[in-house]
Amino acid sequence: MSTSTSNRPDPGILRPGSRRQHEVTRLLPTPMIVSIVAVLGAVVLLPMLYIFLASINTDISVAQGDFWPAEVTLANYTKIWTSVGLANGLMNSVIVAGSTAVVSAALSVATAYVLVRYTFRGRLTILRGLLALQSIPGTLMLLPVFVLFSSAATYLGVHIIGTQWGLFLTYLTFAMPFSTWVMVTYLRGLPRELEEAARIDGAGSLGILFRIVLPLSWPGIVVSGIFAFLLGWNDVLFASVMTRPESQTAAVALQVFGSSAEGGAIPFYGQMMASALVCAAPVVILYLVFQRYLVGGLTAGGVK
Amino acid sequence: MPTELEASGDSGLATRVAVAPLAADELQAVPAAPGGHEPGPPPATQAGRVRRRRVSSEKNRPLWMLIPGGALMVIIVVVPLLLGIYMSMLDLDQYSLRKWVNAPFIGVGNFVEALTATPLLRAVWLSVSYSLVAMLITLPLGIGAAVATQNAFKGRALVRSVFLIPYVLPTFVVATVWRTMFQPGGIVDNALSGIGISGGLWLNGPNSYWTLIIVQIWASWPFVYLLALSGLQSVDHEVHEASALDGALWWNKLRYVVFPYLKGPLSLAFLIGMLHHINNFTLPFVLFGLPAPIDVDVLPMLTYVTSFQSFRFGLSAAMAFVSLVLVAIPLFVYLRAVKLDDAETPGGRK
Repeated sequence: MSTSTSNRPDPGILRPGSRRQHEVTRLLPTPMIVSIVAVLGAVVLLPMLYIFLASINTDISVAQGDFWPAEVTLANYTKIWTSVGLANGLMNSVIVAGSTAVVSAALSVATAYVLVRYTFRGRLTILRGLLALQSIPGTLMLLPVFVLFSSAATYLGVHIIGTQWGLFLTYLTFAMPFSTWVMVTYLRGLPRELEEAARIDGAGSLGILFRIVLPLSWPGIVVSGIFAFLLGWNDVLFASVMTRPESQTAAVALQVFGSSAEGGAIPFYGQMMASALVCAAPVVILYLVFQRYLVGGLTAGGVK
Repeated sequence: MPTELEASGDSGLATRVAVAPLAADELQAVPAAPGGHEPGPPPATQAGRVRRRRVSSEKNRPLWMLIPGGALMVIIVVVPLLLGIYMSMLDLDQYSLRKWVNAPFIGVGNFVEALTATPLLRAVWLSVSYSLVAMLITLPLGIGAAVATQNAFKGRALVRSVFLIPYVLPTFVVATVWRTMFQPGGIVDNALSGIGISGGLWLNGPNSYWTLIIVQIWASWPFVYLLALSGLQSVDHEVHEASALDGALWWNKLRYVVFPYLKGPLSLAFLIGMLHHINNFTLPFVLFGLPAPIDVDVLPMLTYVTSFQSFRFGLSAAMAFVSLVLVAIPLFVYLRAVKLDDAETPGGRK
């Protein structure tokens, strides 16, 4: 085993030092780079800055189209927990998306492990299905899933609609294909030699999965869990139909608040922006922390 | 690859075991033994034990691990999918929904009505055209960003993180924010009047179509950027050196040397982006609310409204079926293009 590892070409040898090759690999003249980065940076950052400024602004000032706050207030951040229902919404989102993430990661490791390491009839069909399922329109599934769940209440006496279980099951199912695909691409990169060695030592499939594969693949597991989490966190479609006010996720709470606040005089723009920031914060933080792994996962669906 | 491993000069046992499952996994029909690859004569007993273990490990493939995920897929995807197709042939409204099994069967009636009496075809056109326009504008943006951040410079990591922010933000956040910015008399109108343009209404009327496109572009160009970056990273170093030796100007080098490498990733970005845009419900829903202006009544919005505002469930199921057909076209191309099995991995140098 050790010999076969040392047999591989060391990637470091093939790749020349990047510093020395800087001029050779240069693609654009510096002024072009500066202007592209400046323009795109402004396109991204100006709206971001505006969200923050509007969230500490008064509603009237936002409605007038001011960029800089007329007066700085933090009241928006104290109101949103009850007025938007963000406290309840965030808790529901964390519960639903969090449990989706954990279960989806666990299931997708098991599924991906079998798909990568074993051969069986229908394997390629499953791989193809994993990709196809990522692109199924949510609006196509919404109504039948809704009817299925309400039939479960009618015929089986199990109430799923309006509870967090309905969302959990739905998100779990729709997160699985991508999470599994991320794990498939990750597990393919793991060396088989360790697993083979464990097999020689008498480990069974489960033993190998738990003692060899899991400890080695936690970055992949975290990534596939995060993507499942984001699916639940970002969803509006299913949550808008399958929740009651008390089981509303943050996304729906914000959407309802945004569309209902418009009837009256001046909408609560400040609170909307504050809520938007609060809802975006966990996602952005997750990305920044795990950026290195997530970027690979993002392109995994496409490139590999 | 068996020869490669044998050449490492290891004796009998370890080599055989390392090789055998690789070969078995690689081939579709699992052969009992890799016939031609018998390495020199290992002690008979050892070979026998190894072979027995390998065969038993093939028999004990833990296929049951596929059951939980598979069951979920069947219950929450396959069954509803069939159910949806069946419902598209029922006359289903809020009264018959509770006992949907007994709803009258009207065959293709819903499809006929959807095509003739609803804005379905218009919705299809809006969906496709908006997706396409947004995609065609995100492509140069993403490529430009990727090319500009490919070479190292101080602060590049920060720039790359910043570029990803729009893609990272939840769609409902993006939509809420732009909805506020596009309000009449809001920040966008203010900024435009500052340079002497009066924009008119953004969230209603014909402009709303372009509002949707603008916000979609803002949110999704980083995806093109990511895929373009991955394409740039696959450019061989020798290619850079060759074009440097030829003294190619940066523009010619990009055009003739670097861009060909981006064709694959960008085609994928195009297909996946189209799929995402066509399926995007959250963005128009949160950006414009219900009822949507007719200029952004894209297919997902129309399907949703027909179900959960008009309660014409059968009709909506027929529309949803149309959206499935619509998505199937880019999806089919995508599935044909993508490599399911990483050709390198099974047994290759890795």
